Amino acid sequence: MSPTLRSHTPQRLLAAAAISMLAFCGTAQAATLDQIRQSGTVRIAVANEIPYGYMDLKGQARGAGPDVAAQIMKDLGVKKIEWVTTSFDALIPGLQADRYDMVAAEMAILPQRCQQVLFSEPNSSYGEGLLVPKGNPKHLTSYESLAKANDKVAIMAGADQLEMMHALGVPDSSIVTISNNADAISAVTTGRADAYAATGLTVAQLASKNGKVESAKPFTDPVIQGTPARSWGGFAFSKNSSDLRDAVNTELAKFKKTPGWSRIMIGYGFTDNDGRQSMAKTTEQLCSK
Amino acid sequence: MDWLSYSEPLLEGAWITAQIAVMSTLVGAVASFALGMGRLARNRALSMFCIAVIELFRGTSLLVQLFWLYFALPVFGQILGLDLRLPPVMAGVLALGLNIGAYGAEVVRGAIQAVPRSQHEAAKALDFTPRQIMWRIALPQAIPEMMPSFSNLAVQNLKDTALVSLIGLGDMAFRAEQIRNFTQDSTTVYTLLLFMYFGMALVLMALMKTMERAVGRWRATARI
Repeated sequence: MSPTLRSHTPQRLLAAAAISMLAFCGTAQAATLDQIRQSGTVRIAVANEIPYGYMDLKGQARGAGPDVAAQIMKDLGVKKIEWVTTSFDALIPGLQADRYDMVAAEMAILPQRCQQVLFSEPNSSYGEGLLVPKGNPKHLTSYESLAKANDKVAIMAGADQLEMMHALGVPDSSIVTISNNADAISAVTTGRADAYAATGLTVAQLASKNGKVESAKPFTDPVIQGTPARSWGGFAFSKNSSDLRDAVNTELAKFKKTPGWSRIMIGYGFTDNDGRQSMAKTTEQLCSK
Repeated sequence: MDWLSYSEPLLEGAWITAQIAVMSTLVGAVASFALGMGRLARNRALSMFCIAVIELFRGTSLLVQLFWLYFALPVFGQILGLDLRLPPVMAGVLALGLNIGAYGAEVVRGAIQAVPRSQHEAAKALDFTPRQIMWRIALPQAIPEMMPSFSNLAVQNLKDTALVSLIGLGDMAFRAEQIRNFTQDSTTVYTLLLFMYFGMALVLMALMKTMERAVGRWRATARI
């Protein structure tokens, strides 16, 4: 290096910088199942969404997705899991950029997402909910009621509630986008939005954290194109990780038959009906809907 | 007290923030001099190249640069059949460093050009080579002039590191978001965060002040 440094020419400095930059890039490609088994490490992403997948204060991954994923990886003989937290709307781009091998955020299996990533069979099923200020001053009881009045509704960036709102005819001008669930309470209590639309479990969890908000009751599930909206969440993988997806599917099917799985799901607030519903549809059906 | 339980994850994050701030400031310093002096080079191709890099990094959003390096570059690499997945730390340091370096380059250029023309002429008359003029005459006078602006940029850079939380790096802002998501206690978390950045900025300002004195030592007597 010393001749390069002594000559002091910016060209050489830039060239050295460029070379060291290339040297820092690894040579690994999208990890296959064999590679993951060999290295014993898998990288799994969660979005900060309680109770689907989140990090607690100690930096430990928790939630329905991570807990089940951890069990599956144990069954597959993968010893170490590197947890990655990102925002919800960065989950799919991160998979495509090979930042992690798998997403355990109970992301809803939807046709347009199926075009971008691979999904496992459903792990969970969940309905919708609405977070409103205490006392529900606008008497909101469904997503449809938002379409009728000109009320503002908050939605998390990248979440499928946006498509539901569009299908129900809620104009874009009434939709406030927030970047994560932590902003929901402040958006609703400060009046930046009249309600926050999210899954029932998220809403219940947020309502329990703050006395100034509650979950809208009675809540009628939105009916979209003739069927009540219900989501099926699964693990997501990059398009070229089908062998990993297949292996996870096999273990997931086995694990879902055990009481251990029910314990995890009920522990995070899923109901027995949610559990039964999660078996009712296949990913193939959900992708071609 | 609640905030005591927050301090451990926040301090872990502060360590990452400090590392990223130091690394990107160093990258920025190298880039400032390389680009700033390259811009003044007599080689036209080189100076045009440096101008292009400076304007590119000054003229685009730092956040978009970060996202581009983190999310777009790997996909771009896949198309070319290359593995261009920069580790998150690398992407963060590179984007921050080149961005602050582009601003720094203009500080370097301005300070060098501010050295009076007559000094160059005098040096030439004494048969100094162009390289000697740069290293022995222009830079020793220019560097102390650059320091106040560099201090500004370094503090700016420290605060910009909060953006790396958006590419999943566990820095202070990222940890704060995590705690906030877990506890919904926005006021305490953000207040602590403000003070922690302020504390780090104070330390950085003191360091830069010391450095400013050190590089300006030679002219201390002249000033009296």
